[in-house]
Amino acid sequence: MTQGLAPGARPPCAGTVREGFVASLALVPSVFVYGTVFGGLAVQAGLSVAHVLGMTLLVFAGASQFVAVPMLATGAPAVAIVVTTYVINMRHYLMAATLAPSFGGFRRAWLAVIAHVINDESFAVAVARSRPPDAWIYLGSALAIFAAFTGGVVVGVSLGGLVERPERYGLDFAFPAVFLSLVAVQLRRRADWLVAIGAAILATALVLVLPGNWHIVLTGLVVSAVAAWTLPLDDADTAPAGAP
Amino acid sequence: MRNDVWLVILGMAAATYLTRAPMFLALARRPLPPRVRLWLRLVPLAVLPALAVPLVLVRDGRLALGWTNPALWGAAVVFVLAARRVNLLASVAIAVAVVALLRALA
Repeated sequence: MTQGLAPGARPPCAGTVREGFVASLALVPSVFVYGTVFGGLAVQAGLSVAHVLGMTLLVFAGASQFVAVPMLATGAPAVAIVVTTYVINMRHYLMAATLAPSFGGFRRAWLAVIAHVINDESFAVAVARSRPPDAWIYLGSALAIFAAFTGGVVVGVSLGGLVERPERYGLDFAFPAVFLSLVAVQLRRRADWLVAIGAAILATALVLVLPGNWHIVLTGLVVSAVAAWTLPLDDADTAPAGAP
Repeated sequence: MRNDVWLVILGMAAATYLTRAPMFLALARRPLPPRVRLWLRLVPLAVLPALAVPLVLVRDGRLALGWTNPALWGAAVVFVLAARRVNLLASVAIAVAVVALLRALA
């Protein structure tokens, strides 16, 4: 990759893993806390430590993990949980497509591994540093974010078992509270508000008539699609999403 | 806890990998069409309220819009705090405390 360059010189625009790692340190505390809250609540909801850590390593997508826990605890069908996970994580297609051209020189086996650590925060860091994003910056950031999130979960599962009878302390409300705060920090443009309010109304109407948890996936897909194909397109609206 | 938790976790892992790997491994060089990009960006903004708001507003299969619903106050608190960029743990902890307090008073 560096053929033709003087020893020690770097190709133009090439960052390093270290640079990406350092650039992500500002996000590490909040990602760590996010992991801690998840680990604690998941254990409270009745998942074993092995389940919580296994989910964190195998899925590694915070929002969908938060969503799955109360669904698991309340006995939602497995298919409903998996489909809901898929829909929440569909945003990865956008990030993967934007990152892909920067990874042309990598072996496929590595690509298959790197794909697993695609995450909102590292994407935001890499895209903020350069367009197109730099592969090594992205990898350094993914390393920091992966360590912060899994580290947070480990701390969370050890703290989570400390509280008995969580509903006495309103802890059952922690799940909707997390979801609402994830929405609140993402509302930037008019389209965001229209989609969030429309989804809130439609889902509330549907939950009164539909069985199970299907109002979530149905509302998620329909409201976002209607908005995307009817609202006026401006450049800002189609920029890849940053971190929440 | 139910006995299919590992099965669900593996299903979630497969579904999530399916959102990450295909375009990445294909080294897609053409950007997605603008409306598809907008759609993918908006999906989480539709899913999260669809999930949270019924948990707050619906009790035992009917709407609970009255001011005596503790979750309604908790929701307002967490939304305002998060929108003002108060950190996640603090926002959620304060909202949970508000709900617990209102339940204790009821």
